[in-house]
Amino acid sequence: METFISNIIRIMSRYGHVFLLEGVAYTLLLSLIAVAGGSVLGALFAFGKRGKIPPLRILINALVEIVRGTPLLLQLYAGVFILPRLIPALNELPDIVSVSVVLIINSAAYVSEVIRSGIQAVDIGQTEAARSLGLSERTTMWNVVLPQAVKNILPALGNEFITVIKETSLASTFYVGDLMTSYLKVRGNTFLTLECLTIVGILYFILTFTLSKLLAAAERRMKHA
Amino acid sequence: MLDICNIYKDFGSLKVLKGVSAHVEKGEVISLIGVSGSGKSTLLRCMNLLETPTFGEVWMEGKLLTQPDPYLHPEIIRASKTFEKLKAAGLADEDAIRKIKKEDLLHEKHGAEGKGYVRLMKEFYAANHLDANLARQKMGMVFQQFNLFNNLSVKDNITLAPVKIGTAKLKQAIREGQKTTETKESIKAAAEKKAMELLARIGLEDKADSFPASLSGGQKQRIAIIRALAMEPDVMLFDEPTSALDPEMVGEVLDLIKELAKSGMTMVVVTHEMGFAREVSDRVLFVDEGYIKEEGTPEEIFRNPKDARLKDFLSKVL
Ligand SMILES: Nc1ncnc2c1ncn2[C@@H]1O[C@H](COP(=O)(O)OP(=O)(O)OP(=O)(O)O)[C@@H](O)[C@H]1O
Ligand SMILES: [Mg+2]
Repeated sequence: METFISNIIRIMSRYGHVFLLEGVAYTLLLSLIAVAGGSVLGALFAFGKRGKIPPLRILINALVEIVRGTPLLLQLYAGVFILPRLIPALNELPDIVSVSVVLIINSAAYVSEVIRSGIQAVDIGQTEAARSLGLSERTTMWNVVLPQAVKNILPALGNEFITVIKETSLASTFYVGDLMTSYLKVRGNTFLTLECLTIVGILYFILTFTLSKLLAAAERRMKHA
Repeated sequence: MLDICNIYKDFGSLKVLKGVSAHVEKGEVISLIGVSGSGKSTLLRCMNLLETPTFGEVWMEGKLLTQPDPYLHPEIIRASKTFEKLKAAGLADEDAIRKIKKEDLLHEKHGAEGKGYVRLMKEFYAANHLDANLARQKMGMVFQQFNLFNNLSVKDNITLAPVKIGTAKLKQAIREGQKTTETKESIKAAAEKKAMELLARIGLEDKADSFPASLSGGQKQRIAIIRALAMEPDVMLFDEPTSALDPEMVGEVLDLIKELAKSGMTMVVVTHEMGFAREVSDRVLFVDEGYIKEEGTPEEIFRNPKDARLKDFLSKVL
């Protein structure tokens, strides 16, 4: 036990920058890119799905179902290995870009569902009242439904962020520098598997735990607002 | 004012309205009564197009709010290919029209040459149609569950529609190059002034900045009523406005509705309050099994009902 702890301390003093400056930074960056991009794209998906263009609706629905119905790892493989074969122009892209794009699309699929159900959870009576006053569909959406839906959507988006932080670990398959990649690197140099795993486990936990506490606090404040 | 012409409404295989016609005169107060599930709300909601009738037309002051219903216009349906075919097969006019299904006509719409039936339908629509949003601006509706906007203060609840619709009209006017002294700010100020007047009328000025969650049911419903009035509607539709209220709050809401009725507002009220229907209505319609089974003055309906099911209904509720 003592050697275990002293090993961890030794690893951290020598490789701390790899875990923190590379691993944590890249994991947070990737997650942020995925959730931010995913939110924007997911919102577009959600509105496309409600929209009046049937082919677009079908396309988005199909994409969302495929993304939700296949493992992320498979999607990452598709983005990094398969697509560039089909479209040679993509060969030039660094893996981290392909990985980010896949993460964004993956996140967008989930976010679009979050937005859809957040909108659906707003009492239909609110829409009916607005329409009965002669307000357009658009005004009703922006001034009545969405402001209420946001209260359902934001907490769920926060949870999506936490999920994505954990899921970025799969990106390490392509050595893109996230926390799990730093584990692979440091283990390769030190051969101390258990210690390295413990370190990344603790770091992941600190990230998600802090974030979920922050979110809970934000949610409480929003309720009082 | 309002004309309901031969309305049918299906929800899937459930036939809720099976041919309902009614006429609402300006200044008239009409009550809809009937057992639960008989289609009173559906009928009311067809009037402002919250429900789209399956067949039939709704007219407001000479303007068509629904799609035209070909079955109500023999001259249009006679121009259809389907009709020609049936006539050629030797059917009489009326039988042929009866035999034509809605799907046949839809098919016709997509037919290659847009002549005859399709052209007549389009012309009729263009000549008579009024956009549903425009129509609703002149038709207030009050719901059982109040439906105040939870995200807006009382004042904003009342001013949202006048401000949004007012500014949209202003933009339109400016785009068309019309001269106007109005500005966005003047519209907003006028709407707020009006909102405060309406709130004063129901004695709730002090609630202007409150949110719906902090109000009692009776307060919510009275605010919902003045929210509709802020659009200066020509007709008000009420769907059981007091059914969700605690008994001690029913009075304040009914009093406001009665006051409105006395002021000459045209109203259609779905209600389970028979005393109220009797007191304020000019006419009472008994909705039953998808039809208007009986209609008459409160006197006729409550003193001297003829329909057996109406008698039965009244014996249970009175
Ligand atoms: N959107 C809908 N989808 C499916 N069925 C519906 C819908 N709206 C109403 N119905 C059904 O249509 C029938 C008539 O409903 P409606 O609400 O018009 O009755 P009502 O006379 O207003 O009853 P109540 O007095 O209980 O309010 C009911 O059987 C109801 O379940
Ligand atoms: Mg009802």
